Amino acid sequence: MKDRQLAWRNLWRNRKRTLITAASVFFAIFFALIMRSFQLGTYDKMYSDVIRSYSGYLQLQHPSYLDEPGLDNGLILDPELTRKLEQDPNVEAVVPRIESFALAAAGNRTQGVMVIGVEPERESKALNIRNRIVRYKLTPGAVEALKGEELPGRLAKNTELFAGEAFTEAEDLMSVLGISKKDSAGLLPLLRNHTSFPGSYLSAGESGYAIIGNGLSDYLEAVPGDTIVLIGQGYHGTSAAGLYVVKGVVSMPNPEIDNRFVCLTLDDARWLYGAPDMATSAIIAIKDGSDKVLTATQQRLGAVTGEDLAVRNWKEMNALLLNQMEADNRSGAIMIGILYLVIAFGVFGTVLMMMAERRREFGMLVSIGMRKGRLAGIVGLEMLLMGVIGVIAGVIASLPIVFLGHLRPLRFTGEMARMYEDYGFEPVMPMLLPDTYYLWQVVVVLLILAVAIAFSIRKIFKLNVINALRA
Amino acid sequence: MNVVEINDVYKTYHDTEVEVRAVNGVTLSFTKGDFAVIVGPSGSGKTTLLNLIGGLDQPTTGEIIVAGHRLSELKPSELIDFRMEHVGFVFQSYNLIPVLTAAENVGFIMSLQKWPKEKRMARTGELLEAVGLADRHNSRPSQLSGGQQQRVAVARALAPRPEFILADEPTANLDSKSAETLLDIMEKLNREEEMTFIFSTHDARVMKRARRVITLEDGKVVSDERTNHRE
Repeated sequence: MKDRQLAWRNLWRNRKRTLITAASVFFAIFFALIMRSFQLGTYDKMYSDVIRSYSGYLQLQHPSYLDEPGLDNGLILDPELTRKLEQDPNVEAVVPRIESFALAAAGNRTQGVMVIGVEPERESKALNIRNRIVRYKLTPGAVEALKGEELPGRLAKNTELFAGEAFTEAEDLMSVLGISKKDSAGLLPLLRNHTSFPGSYLSAGESGYAIIGNGLSDYLEAVPGDTIVLIGQGYHGTSAAGLYVVKGVVSMPNPEIDNRFVCLTLDDARWLYGAPDMATSAIIAIKDGSDKVLTATQQRLGAVTGEDLAVRNWKEMNALLLNQMEADNRSGAIMIGILYLVIAFGVFGTVLMMMAERRREFGMLVSIGMRKGRLAGIVGLEMLLMGVIGVIAGVIASLPIVFLGHLRPLRFTGEMARMYEDYGFEPVMPMLLPDTYYLWQVVVVLLILAVAIAFSIRKIFKLNVINALRA
Repeated sequence: MNVVEINDVYKTYHDTEVEVRAVNGVTLSFTKGDFAVIVGPSGSGKTTLLNLIGGLDQPTTGEIIVAGHRLSELKPSELIDFRMEHVGFVFQSYNLIPVLTAAENVGFIMSLQKWPKEKRMARTGELLEAVGLADRHNSRPSQLSGGQQQRVAVARALAPRPEFILADEPTANLDSKSAETLLDIMEKLNREEEMTFIFSTHDARVMKRARRVITLEDGKVVSDERTNHRE
């Protein structure tokens, strides 16, 4: 009889106890993984939204710009420096931009906005605003029109539920409305007919056009073809004012940006703010944004720019967001810690029960010649098997949910959605695909098991055979 | 030839404020082929003496020599190996391993001793036959009666060919018929294989079969009589 066979049989001698212990490990790891996946997925989305729709991974700035952003701390980008920076293996392009504030008005509505001036063609390498142009929108008119059509029940309900939402692709619209690929062929023409939204992206060389965020478009009630007024302060305190025709509407993932986004061509923005040849920053579009590569790239570029200019990464530019997320992350870690603590007590309860129940058996085994070390090995193996069954089952059970939650993120509606938007976040809760956090949860559970195993081993080594036989 | 020599052994417990002298100056010896019982009232020191002989406990003073080994000179790990090789234990409550079959229980100590599989299986079969359980090889303890379990325990104790068997109240939990069957088997093994049995018991049925009755009172040997039951 091999030790592992004996351990395996012992595991099933009290089936209920084994299943309860394995189940407690299972639920601990399952809920910890799901919670962590939601939490990290949400952070990941927030970070990537900010990176993709606003800051980019790296920016070239005047050293004082981070503390006092504005045109007065802008820069004039030297083409020779741009060429040198673009020679870096991880750099795709260096795209200058002007970023400032203004008051936007249309009709009798006004809104403080963030004005971004970009080079329309090169910009696509950095923030990809072009792909965010709204092509479909569930406007009140569209929703009313769709009510008149004979739509399947769930689709009609979803149409009202997602009223006001804008989409860049037909697939997104179909997905949100819950239309399967099978049904899409029949419904797509109808939906296109009612929800198509006009507009296009800026072109190089043209002047007097603006792209605005979907939230701003709703607020100002300005759609493509309408004119908006921008009034603000230019370079060195000059007045800035201009009239721009809305050429397109973009859907930015971050609601805070979406509600205040106005994009002009770089030349128009320079003219508006009276800052010819200037930029407030330059986005450095990179190929690989992973932490390690990003840090190395930042260091290399910093060496090229010298001290006259600063290369900032997205973390430096979004310190407030990072701090918020870090605080939230810690509270999440405390919750998971409490979950593990409860489970640890459960596991220890089982261990104590098992040790007390089998004390006489242990005494007998040692008295007939089994070394305590070997006995401890068998008991440790039993507990490890019990834990590993729970861990494997928990990991396997979490995988489909995590993958589904990543592909079809939880989308909030109603009050919850408003709350998210008030905080400046898209009301979406995606799950992060399995990563190192999976490994960490497994390690934590195995550590709990290791402590329980160490406890039982200690008990075995301190076993008094005579007392045990009397038990 | 002496299998066990006990020389002026004392065992004192200090578990409570009162000092308890469980074994109080015992000097005894057991020879090969003994079929001896240690009797006495509860608390007379029978089980303690058995534990000392089996190397489960150490005397406070005095010396125990088993099969040429001075037990006081052995380290704890050496004592475990000593018990495995030289002593067979039969407990009052059988103490079989519940997840193993009868055959696996019998073969357990042999597997600890790393006997080759064929040799182990042959010895297991031989022993289960000797205790009348040849047809219960694959039965788990829960599928056996108390008497059958105790017979498996005897077979397990005999398996590694120990110097002697220590049986602490082996018939206490058995009905008359099972007890008689068990004693028949033990007597037969004693007679045919010259296996030494040392019992501690209250059971008159065991005393009746014994060829040596040692009476303990307050940890002292008050009588040591040899009888002729076998004849």
